[in-house]
Amino acid sequence: MRVLLVEDEVRLADNLAAALRDGPGFAVDWAEDGLAGDDLACNRCYDLIVLDLMLPRLDGLSLLKRLRGRRDATPVLILTAKDGADSIIQLLNAGADDYLAKPFDLGELIARAKALIRRGKGAAHPTLTVLGLTVNTLEQTVVRNGALVELSPTEYRVLEYLIHRPRVIVSKRELLEHLYDYNWEHHSNVIEVHVSNLRKKLDAVLPEADPIIETMRGRGYRLAPSLPAEREPEFETAVPSVTPEQGR
Amino acid sequence: MKLFLQHRSIALRLIAAVLAVELLSSILVVVLSFGYERHIHFRAFDVALRGRADSVLGAVQDADDPGDNVMLDQADLHVPPEDVFEVFELDGRLLGRSSNWQGAGPGVPEHPWGDFSQTILNGHHYRVLRMQGSRTVDPGIHGGKLHQIVVVYGSPTHHIWHVIRSAVQFYAAGSLLLLVVTGPLIAWLLHRGLLPLRQLAALATEVSVDAWQFSPPASARATPELAPLTQALESVLQRLERSFLQQRAFVSDAAHELKTAVAVVKSSLQLLSMKRRTAREYEEGLERCLADSLRLEALVADMLNLARAESATAASGPQASADLAACIGQAVAQLATVATLREVQVRVAPPHEDAEQETTPVQVPVAPEDCTLLLTNLLLNALQHSPAASTVEVQLTVEAGQNPPAALLRIQDQGHGIDPAALPFVFDRFYRGDPSRTRTTGGTGLGLAVSKAIVQKAGGTIAIASQPDPALPNQGTTVTVRLPIAG
Repeated sequence: MRVLLVEDEVRLADNLAAALRDGPGFAVDWAEDGLAGDDLACNRCYDLIVLDLMLPRLDGLSLLKRLRGRRDATPVLILTAKDGADSIIQLLNAGADDYLAKPFDLGELIARAKALIRRGKGAAHPTLTVLGLTVNTLEQTVVRNGALVELSPTEYRVLEYLIHRPRVIVSKRELLEHLYDYNWEHHSNVIEVHVSNLRKKLDAVLPEADPIIETMRGRGYRLAPSLPAEREPEFETAVPSVTPEQGR
Repeated sequence: MKLFLQHRSIALRLIAAVLAVELLSSILVVVLSFGYERHIHFRAFDVALRGRADSVLGAVQDADDPGDNVMLDQADLHVPPEDVFEVFELDGRLLGRSSNWQGAGPGVPEHPWGDFSQTILNGHHYRVLRMQGSRTVDPGIHGGKLHQIVVVYGSPTHHIWHVIRSAVQFYAAGSLLLLVVTGPLIAWLLHRGLLPLRQLAALATEVSVDAWQFSPPASARATPELAPLTQALESVLQRLERSFLQQRAFVSDAAHELKTAVAVVKSSLQLLSMKRRTAREYEEGLERCLADSLRLEALVADMLNLARAESATAASGPQASADLAACIGQAVAQLATVATLREVQVRVAPPHEDAEQETTPVQVPVAPEDCTLLLTNLLLNALQHSPAASTVEVQLTVEAGQNPPAALLRIQDQGHGIDPAALPFVFDRFYRGDPSRTRTTGGTGLGLAVSKAIVQKAGGTIAIASQPDPALPNQGTTVTVRLPIAG
């Protein structure tokens, strides 16, 4: 998952970025003013935007309005030092999904960030299950058919992204965009290696079944090939299509 | 009564004043009408009296005796029954008198047209006319005989007094009625007339810290007496609102800065405890936490300095003074390490060309700690905006020619200058010309605001001049402080 952090206080941004990378293992891009944040958000490759309100050049509320104005449905978590229900109501009405008042708790920030990403992808619970494959996003553990699968951090992040989009073809480019921040050199064969390793580890638990991650040549990857007989109805509702924001 | 009026409403006072004037004028009307009525009626009465006296004189006839005497023939005399009269000859012989009177006695009137006098007869006031007339008996035979006759005629005056009294009573009653009617009428009119004032007051009471909107009613604006009050209220409220909003903005900004600084410290600590780390990572983390805490400390210290410098403006305690020249030395020494780190040279220019009097004390009315704070703030600002290998010039001159003599301090850097658009705001609290840049240099955004407060408290001025020019990159910024010299 990739997070855009827009915060002008350098030390706070450092700490937040470190916490989001260390804890849930997100890729984090940092913008130090509103206009830079707006430019980055235009790439539409973020699963969450963490936005400070008092920013130089373009304040947080205006950035939020621009974002929603171009129908960008990325979940937005606001960091605010302002008190008062009025400003919070104004923020939520402008399209913010959640807010945290400074000084906040890092643990709470991470939990809210995860919840927003999850909700943005249509999942209600932090534990996701597809075809007997269970990913616990809190403990970052993977269980297939009752057996724990040990994954590297990158492999886990690939799987976490894929399991939020079951049966959808996810391109290599999309995976790259959502797993790495701008400081990373983009090489698509890095993804190929990680997916290959991931598939091996997952299939080692259940050798006789079909591969759980399908490679669609030239198009990307797909978790849990659609098999009508094994279809679990809960995922029909879990497939993200429209976020609440677009319904406004 | 005076006290009562002083502490009562304008309406009551006006009503009381109008009623008092009305009462006075009605008393005057009664007195004047009394005099007028009395004059008119008595003149008519006197004419009537003279006429009746004439008819009495006419009743004096020849007595038909050889001595050509006269007599009073009362048979054809018709006068009101209560009237009294008597007729004398000039020598005092009584010719006749009315039956209801003992008489006033003979006498000659002093005035040719008759004397009027007052007397009381039978318990009634009478007005009595004594007049002299002449009567000629038998003029046909031998020229006749001229008789000088004195007629005394009196008539009671109580009718006249009754008429006068009725007239005066009518005027008095009318005035009283007018007074009774106009009292409530004035009260009602005043109530209506003071409506704009009440509307203004009602609107003014609605103003509060949450609702500054004050649009005076059109009635108050149109009233010439209320227009100045309305304008004064409006301008006072506008000034109050402005300063209140400034204050609120400052509190809000201060809260934001403090919360952000606390958030930094807190997140640094939480980041450190998120997972098990090596001893080296802990050490580095603790160092960062300490640095964050120091920033928080600097912010709090600057806010307290600002509060102290601003609050003490009015309260003039014991006049403290400091040596500006010595403070410059201290500030330069304090910031020597910063200057070395940034590779900037600080040059303190001698006050005059002849460099020998380098440490002449210049006493300014600023507390010593404030003076040092002012110098370190300005110098640090200059250092932070100076590129490497440049020079910051500090120059102190004394303008002895001025009255009172002033100390002029100039601090000039060779930095990139300040954007002209930002120049008017640099003394504002928490203003940062270039936010991303100054945040990294660690400024609190209060340094210049604190400096300005200190200088203003001492009755001095501070100005900043900068002309950023891409062609001349080292023009820099000049801060000029002018302080009065103490003593």
